[in-house]
Amino acid sequence: MFKNNFIIAWRNLAKQKMYSIIKIVGLALGIAACLLIALFIKDELGYDLHFKNGDRIYRVILRINDGDHIWQISTFPAPVVSAIKSEFPEIEEVGRMTGLVYFGAGSNDIRRTDKPDNIFEEGFVYTSQGLLDIFQPQMIYGNLDHALDGPETMIISKRKADKFFPGENPVGKTMILNNDRKRIYTISGVMEDPPRHSHFQYDFLMTLSEGLYPGEETNWNSQSSTVYTLLHPGIDVASLETKFKKLAKKNAASLIGKSEGPEADDLIAKITYRLQPISDIYLKSEGISDEFQHGDIRFVWLFGMIAIFIFIIACINFINLSTAKSSKRAMEVGLRKTVGASQKSLINQFLAESILLSFLSFSLGVVLVMFLLPYFNILSVKELVFPWNEWWLLPLLACAATFTGILAGLYPSFYISSFEPIAVLKGSIKRGCKNASLRNGLVIFQFSISIILITSTLVINNQVAYILNKKLGFDKDEVLLIQGTKSLGDQVTSFKNELLKLPDVKNVTVSDYLPVSEMKRNSCGFWNEGKQEVDEAYSAQLWGIDHDYIKTMGMNIVEGRDFSPEIAGDAEGCIINKTMARQLNLENPLDQTICTSFASWHVIGVVEDFHFESLKENIGGMCLTLGKSPDIVSVKIHTKNMSRTVASITHVWKTIAPYQQIRYSFLDERYTMMYDDVQRMGYIFNMFAMLAIIIACLGLFALSSFIIAQRTKEIGIRKVLGASVLNITFNLSKNFLTLVALANIIACPIAYFFMNRWLQDFAYRIHVRSWMFIVSGGIVILIALLTIGLQTIRAATANPIESLKYE
Amino acid sequence: MIKTEDLKKVYTTEEVETTALNNVNFEVRHGEFVSIMGPSGCGKSTLLNLIGLLDNPSDGRYYFLDHEVSRYSERQRANLRKHNIGFVFQSFNLIDELTVFENIELPLLYQKVSSSERKKRVTEVMEQMQIMHRKNHFPQQLSGGQQQRVAVGRAVVGSPRLILADEPTGNLDSSHGEEVMKMLLDLNEAGTTIIMVTHSPTYAEYGHRVVHLFDGHIVTENLNGKFHV
Ligand SMILES: Nc1ncnc2c1ncn2[C@@H]1O[C@H](COP(=O)(O)OP(=O)(O)O)[C@@H](O)[C@H]1O
Ligand SMILES: [Mg+2]
Repeated sequence: MFKNNFIIAWRNLAKQKMYSIIKIVGLALGIAACLLIALFIKDELGYDLHFKNGDRIYRVILRINDGDHIWQISTFPAPVVSAIKSEFPEIEEVGRMTGLVYFGAGSNDIRRTDKPDNIFEEGFVYTSQGLLDIFQPQMIYGNLDHALDGPETMIISKRKADKFFPGENPVGKTMILNNDRKRIYTISGVMEDPPRHSHFQYDFLMTLSEGLYPGEETNWNSQSSTVYTLLHPGIDVASLETKFKKLAKKNAASLIGKSEGPEADDLIAKITYRLQPISDIYLKSEGISDEFQHGDIRFVWLFGMIAIFIFIIACINFINLSTAKSSKRAMEVGLRKTVGASQKSLINQFLAESILLSFLSFSLGVVLVMFLLPYFNILSVKELVFPWNEWWLLPLLACAATFTGILAGLYPSFYISSFEPIAVLKGSIKRGCKNASLRNGLVIFQFSISIILITSTLVINNQVAYILNKKLGFDKDEVLLIQGTKSLGDQVTSFKNELLKLPDVKNVTVSDYLPVSEMKRNSCGFWNEGKQEVDEAYSAQLWGIDHDYIKTMGMNIVEGRDFSPEIAGDAEGCIINKTMARQLNLENPLDQTICTSFASWHVIGVVEDFHFESLKENIGGMCLTLGKSPDIVSVKIHTKNMSRTVASITHVWKTIAPYQQIRYSFLDERYTMMYDDVQRMGYIFNMFAMLAIIIACLGLFALSSFIIAQRTKEIGIRKVLGASVLNITFNLSKNFLTLVALANIIACPIAYFFMNRWLQDFAYRIHVRSWMFIVSGGIVILIALLTIGLQTIRAATANPIESLKYE
Repeated sequence: MIKTEDLKKVYTTEEVETTALNNVNFEVRHGEFVSIMGPSGCGKSTLLNLIGLLDNPSDGRYYFLDHEVSRYSERQRANLRKHNIGFVFQSFNLIDELTVFENIELPLLYQKVSSSERKKRVTEVMEQMQIMHRKNHFPQQLSGGQQQRVAVGRAVVGSPRLILADEPTGNLDSSHGEEVMKMLLDLNEAGTTIIMVTHSPTYAEYGHRVVHLFDGHIVTENLNGKFHV
């Protein structure tokens, strides 16, 4: 019987090929989307589960409750470690780490002391032995105990060991950073590479046995370290958190510089502590700024909801498609019933059919996922793999397919199998369905979502185009940045001079301060001369540049002049931007004197405002002075053959720094990189928009085939009475287009609202224009017309006698 | 008025070819009332569909009002049809969503008749068919006889020269059947040509002559002797 059901189900699918394919593909798309999102969520939830005592490891967070805002601080002064250790017997171990670039964490040029070639590496961090004892990484060489206890010790990851010491045991060998004789480290161990699902992604763990600098261990005045604790088993975290309040006084002192007085008391009252489970660090660190890569639990929820949503809609479309064709099956049901089939056996029959369809959809869905996964990985910046070798995969998919089949098949089976045989055979079955408005509503809803997404995509893409083409106040094109030139020392000047001899090189400047984000910054308080006691300080950037900076960057002097090597007094001069002049109320800024708490300069020129941060921010004040910050050399090039020019620059580099790889990038690429997240968002919206429109079209297809099936007889009669194909087509399309038009009306204000809000993130932005709505509406109407077109025209051109014959 | 020469209709489905009509030569003159009889499946409806320009023959020639129309396009046929032919079906074929008035009005809509003219003519027809009091009812609310009267009304409202009726009394009891036959007879007397398919020899007698179809062929024609030129 069971087998029989499936054989008949298969024949039925084969008979209505077109319909079966649309049903399967529609459901498969929904399933593929859900599977992708499920993989994404599983990955996001899988972080930091590998630690041995993971359930007892917590990161210390300090919270300041300011009434309307809670500040969460994750960095502490170094002595807090010993304070925690001595204060709280509940805690087994305390450790700290710091990734401060200022002290040489982050990235460095590194080499074996016995080899001359420097290699640029990232992933340097200072780590205490205590942290090592808490995290307990798997060691391949060396012993975890006391590995970082000695001075100048370092643990490296396996992949770096393989790179620098292939086939050797590196323990006991030495490495040097940035050619700096003071930074020679002895390797005390090699650990397994950090798992991909770890928030702690470092390859070089450098010791903290003597602090970052002499005296750091007792200095309460710098917030340098992230602190982790390992609790004893069975400790109540909440009560321990309250006990941490003991530390508030010292922390307050380190935050505002005093531990007595009303100000300090006020702050101490606002301080609480939180012990954050290590497995929460990746996903649940909203509002905490630290140096780790994070996911966002809100996105997990959002995507989860989207997945459920897509799944429900795909199922509803499936149900609608099934019931739409029910009249074709009514005859069969009537006959089966007259020969004695019970409703139950008929339900089984139809369920078998939908379960079969569901299995086919799941198979296709999995295939789709395999194809889409690489693209999805690019979009989500992940390395998801389909869990083929997990034992639970196939049973899980089978259960899900059965469940979906039953879910999507239940209503249609009851609906179709309940037809009364006599009514069916007499042909008097009414194909109308009470929930026509539900179907209409669903189509309107699906199209509204599509229109919202398409409009959003248009807005985002336009904002991106605006960003990439905006006049920035400097010329980002054809500027090559050579990084890591600090290691050249005094030779940087001769490097510069050699570069200027190349024919394609127009200008060269030496400065780390560059007008793209994630570059060196230096914020200071400024006053007009003599106003230190009267005015509030105006916070602006103070950048050290050389004589060629403004020329190289193509900035515009609007008043006064550029720095000149001929004029000796320029060392005390400065060039400010227009915003700075405005903010300091300098109507005639030239020759005025401005100062900080430590120096003063006279203004020799005013430069046109240029964007030195993301367009999300307004342009701030800027004071350019002559100064040395030699880690980046920027080269303005004008060439037809970029690779040849780069080759000749590389050649010059090799003559000056033979043991260091040249490391360069382009200013315009760096600029574009600043908006990677915006562009990625555009792609994601694009993808969802496409998915939404496909699903919406399936919905519309289901609805239109349902309605056309219902109206076949009417169409036949009208044609007999002289209606033309055009008449009928128009008549049919009108109803569907009304739905799409309604969807437009609903979607436009919503899209406008959300996109306007999104644009508020940008200080410099486009406006949401009416053409965007017209375009997205037009696209949707066109696609809707194509969807219903084939069926409508087929219905309109059908020979009327066919549809009237069986009446 | 109409004339067929060697008319042939072959239906090709996936499995079989059915020859529904074979070499049918048939003529109907203006003002005639012709009954067609024959066993089920012999091709009566097929013949009527061809005459009614709902379908093209597979072979042969068909003269409608002296035009050779057997190769006409769908659009050309629709044009001829809507101005010249009215249809009455066994199962009435009214549109459930439209009222009696709207059902009758339908052919005039497609003939682009002005709204006031439509109203006038539909009212006239409804009076003639004695269904004025049912004007705003829906087909489901009417008896079979009333429905068929609406269907006849719809067939005549455009003042066609030819009315084709495919078993118009098939779904009706005898008193309602009589009624409908009476109406057809009245129309014929007013000058409309009528071709009617029926299973009932009694109703066939209403025609001037009876054509017997068997297996796609015309076998006999007998004059009822009522026709005078
Ligand atoms: N659309 C069609 N496709 C295939 N065969 C058809 C079609 N319409 C009618 N036939 C066949 O043509 C023959 C004549 O049918 P029809 O004219 O409906 O007969 P009648 O009206 O005399 O009962 C029958 O054998 C029928 O099966
Ligand atoms: Mg018939």
